[in-house]
Amino acid sequence: MPTERTSAENRVEVLLPSLGISVVEGTIVRWRKQAGDAVVYEEPICDIATDKIESELPAPATGTLVEILVEEGETVDVGTALAIVETDQERADAIAAQQASVLDAAYGVHVQPGEEGAVSPVVARLAQDLGVDLATVKGTGAGGRVRKQDVIAAAEHDKLAARYEPPPPVALSHMRRSIGAHMKRSLDTAATVTSWIEVDFSAIERTRMEIGTTALPIVAKATLQTLAEFPDLNAWIDGERFTRHETVNLGVAVAIDGGLIVPVVRSAQELSVLELASAIRDLAQRARSGELAPDELADGTFTITNPGQFGTVMATPVISQPQVAILDIEAIVRRPVAVEDEIAIRPICILGLSWDHRALDGAIAARFLGALRARLEAWGGG
Amino acid sequence: MQLTYLEAITDALRCALRDDERVFLLGEDIGVMGGAFKVTAGLFDEFGPDRVIDTPISEEAIVGGAVGAAIVGMRPVCEMQFADFVACGFDQLVNVAGKLHYRLGLAAPIVLRLPSGGGVAGGPYHSANPEAWFVHAPGLKVVAPSTAEDAKGLLLAAIADPNPVVFMEHKGLYRRVRGEVPEEPYETPFEARTVRDGDELVVITYGAMVHAALAAIEQLDGASIRLLDLRSLEPLDEEAILAAARDCSKVVIVDEANYSCAIGAQVSSLIAERAFEDLDGPIIRVATPDVPIPFAPELERAVLPSVERIRAACEELLAY
Amino acid sequence: MSTLDETEVAERGAPALEQADRIALFRFMALQRAVEERGLSLYKQGKVPGSFYDGRGQEATCVGATYALDAADTVCPLIRDMGAHLVRGTTPLAILAHYLGRAGGVGRGRDGNVHIGEASRGVVGMTSMLSDMLGVAVGMALAFKLRGERRCALAFFGDGATSVGDWHEAVNFAAVQDVPLVMVLENNGYAYSTPTSAQFKVDPLQRAAAYGIRGVAVDGNDVEAVFEATREARARALAGGGPTLIAAETMRMHGHGSHDDARYVPPELLEYWAARDPLDLQRRRLVELGVDVAAIEAAVTAEVAAAAQAAVAMGAPDPASATTGVYATGEPAVLGRGEAHWSGFCS
Repeated sequence: MPTERTSAENRVEVLLPSLGISVVEGTIVRWRKQAGDAVVYEEPICDIATDKIESELPAPATGTLVEILVEEGETVDVGTALAIVETDQERADAIAAQQASVLDAAYGVHVQPGEEGAVSPVVARLAQDLGVDLATVKGTGAGGRVRKQDVIAAAEHDKLAARYEPPPPVALSHMRRSIGAHMKRSLDTAATVTSWIEVDFSAIERTRMEIGTTALPIVAKATLQTLAEFPDLNAWIDGERFTRHETVNLGVAVAIDGGLIVPVVRSAQELSVLELASAIRDLAQRARSGELAPDELADGTFTITNPGQFGTVMATPVISQPQVAILDIEAIVRRPVAVEDEIAIRPICILGLSWDHRALDGAIAARFLGALRARLEAWGGG
Repeated sequence: MQLTYLEAITDALRCALRDDERVFLLGEDIGVMGGAFKVTAGLFDEFGPDRVIDTPISEEAIVGGAVGAAIVGMRPVCEMQFADFVACGFDQLVNVAGKLHYRLGLAAPIVLRLPSGGGVAGGPYHSANPEAWFVHAPGLKVVAPSTAEDAKGLLLAAIADPNPVVFMEHKGLYRRVRGEVPEEPYETPFEARTVRDGDELVVITYGAMVHAALAAIEQLDGASIRLLDLRSLEPLDEEAILAAARDCSKVVIVDEANYSCAIGAQVSSLIAERAFEDLDGPIIRVATPDVPIPFAPELERAVLPSVERIRAACEELLAY
Repeated sequence: MSTLDETEVAERGAPALEQADRIALFRFMALQRAVEERGLSLYKQGKVPGSFYDGRGQEATCVGATYALDAADTVCPLIRDMGAHLVRGTTPLAILAHYLGRAGGVGRGRDGNVHIGEASRGVVGMTSMLSDMLGVAVGMALAFKLRGERRCALAFFGDGATSVGDWHEAVNFAAVQDVPLVMVLENNGYAYSTPTSAQFKVDPLQRAAAYGIRGVAVDGNDVEAVFEATREARARALAGGGPTLIAAETMRMHGHGSHDDARYVPPELLEYWAARDPLDLQRRRLVELGVDVAAIEAAVTAEVAAAAQAAVAMGAPDPASATTGVYATGEPAVLGRGEAHWSGFCS
């Protein structure tokens, strides 16, 4: 253990030495010299005590004691600087720098990686367990060898990058394909736009309860009456040819098992609400049991769809070709609305009209919807 | 209570002397003076000359005397003043104590305390780590604590063991290491202890080297390195060693003792034999070369495993 | 320090012995001789592995000294002291089976020839390092003293053992601690082939003085004198008088072992000592007292013959047991009590 340390050329630190095996600290009992005193090499300059013995500390150089760093009574660790001595003459630095271990050559670690491609048994086993192809793994070990960590990292990466394997597809039914084709053709052909209007169904609700039907036949009747005012909506368009019909063959969309079908009520404008109700019910029933005749599906001029029973409020229905419009009736929802300046709870239904911009413009669609609303809100005189 | 490693040993001796009238101490300068390192300080005053005996300089007589007292029912704890001097009592320890039970069915419950280890400028005769001789000799047990808590627990367990136990107390740790030590008596099992967990590499060592290894590992912040403190050299905790080799696949073993046939050589051989399939790199040993421990601090520092050498070994093996 | 003036010579035929004791002393010597002759015969037949050692001509020393021990005392015999085992109660069958390395022998095959000792009878089997057991005996005596027990330890060693460093450490430690120990030095003139003139410069009895303990010289071939010297040393030790070194002069009549023809021993020396055979000396005493010695000898012969037959028929140790018992587990047993035959112990 060195007992002094030279920090500048002529300033020597006096360090607390170890005064016995396993001694780690000592106490300054008494300074025999004060700052400013001259000291001679090996002259005792203070007394120190450890828990094993007491001893004098000799000066490590001849010169002047310029600074005391640890006071009497203080206990410090072995190796702590206790004081500074300034030497008169130049001293060679007697404290050799720490020698690098001469043993590194003999006992240093020189680990030679094995031959190219060789893997340790633990790596081979891990690769097998994790399903990793070793040929694809980049080794980051010495000499490019594949380490355990490389295999684990490769397995993680594989997991993240793996393609999703979808289950095997099933063939679509004829009906599904047929509906899909029709819908696709409609959207490709028509310039389909949808407009919506909120309608207060209070009058309709009152009426339907009175007459014992659903809202649909009443809305159908109102629609038929309004179509008489807007004949451009009851038409066919085929390229540049536009056919305005005088009778309304009303198509009513019916959900059936595995798809959708649209039976047609011929000359519907001649029927009363109750007759419409009955005709629609009959067609729907026969639609579900597959008993419709082909001519009951043909020649529709306008379509109503009514999926609102499930609670949806708006949709963008697809026009049934070659018609130019389709009306969508969604759920009737009781909402708070402003009536005059009061809030009232009313049954509100959003009617959506998809229309073909090739045949008409938005203003007509909007006016049709406005007129339909007015009729519906005033139904039954209420 | 917070005790130094040395105080923990003193406390263990005090507990044993107090709780078991069969226990007595023999050694040179352990009584009136309290021991060359003050390990037995105060015990002579507390328990008297019949329990703490100052012997002549006679290691064979100390060990042989301990065996004789043990086979008629005493529990002697002897001290060799420095581990190096066990060579003077080697015959009684290895040929009498070690072989007694196998030959005669007679147990010799003695404990031999050996202040061992270097780093204190002790030179060739005050720095030895001779534990390998006694792991090699049949019939002896050997333990080596690295903490104050283990020093007390392992010593009390050694005293309770019916076999001769060699207790390697590292003198460099006496005052340098302190820790929380339970006040009541307890026995630490002769098993290894995981000092810190990890799974990229394991450092296996014991005694003062546990602290050097910990310092080296802490410099390798970011690597997941396990540190296993063997604590018991005979019996060796094979289960803990093999589990560490299996989990980490990379092993560095540190011996403060001389390289050839040190405990680390046995650990290395065990792993190579029983955990070959789990290794992802060669087993690296860091040990003092086969030289007597030199006196000058510059020379001693050059031979004892340093924090730098341990760190370098870990770095190289991690990258392999 | 003390000089030769302080050594004493024990008297012959001390009155402490009754007729039954004197007969017993003869019987044990005869038994030792018979067991060792039988063992040698078995060895020459190739039935005894390794090497064979006996104490022919030294029977009086070990029998006489051990006869003075009480049941709770302990003893560390050495090479020439098979009589000590017999006095403590180890049977000829157990000894012969031990020579043969049988599972039922004292050593259970783990040690052989004179490395023998029944712990249950307070006997500690020797190691080959000849002075080791003195150190152990010192430890036993120390324990007796620390615990205030009325027990002593008895240790045997030869002239050669007194050169080993261990011996000196043990005697010195025994002396400075004043332990209740009796040491019997069997000075038989030779340590293997080394005569005492090449072994030491000083009469070993003088070493007692050098260590500050009492030394006593005794005729090692007079079983009753050896008994008396030991009895007296034991009494002194138990009274706190510390250790005694009894130097018994005797002669090793055979070689160091059966592999040694001892051609380095002058024939005249053997002739001289043959005329002082310890069994002859005791036999003459008993004949004078009208004891039927022939009957005793015949009984001993028959006993040993039967034991030999039984020993040869015993099984060898199981090889699977070779690695067991290295370590003790649980609460260890301590040395037990041996037989005590001396009439002086009856109360």
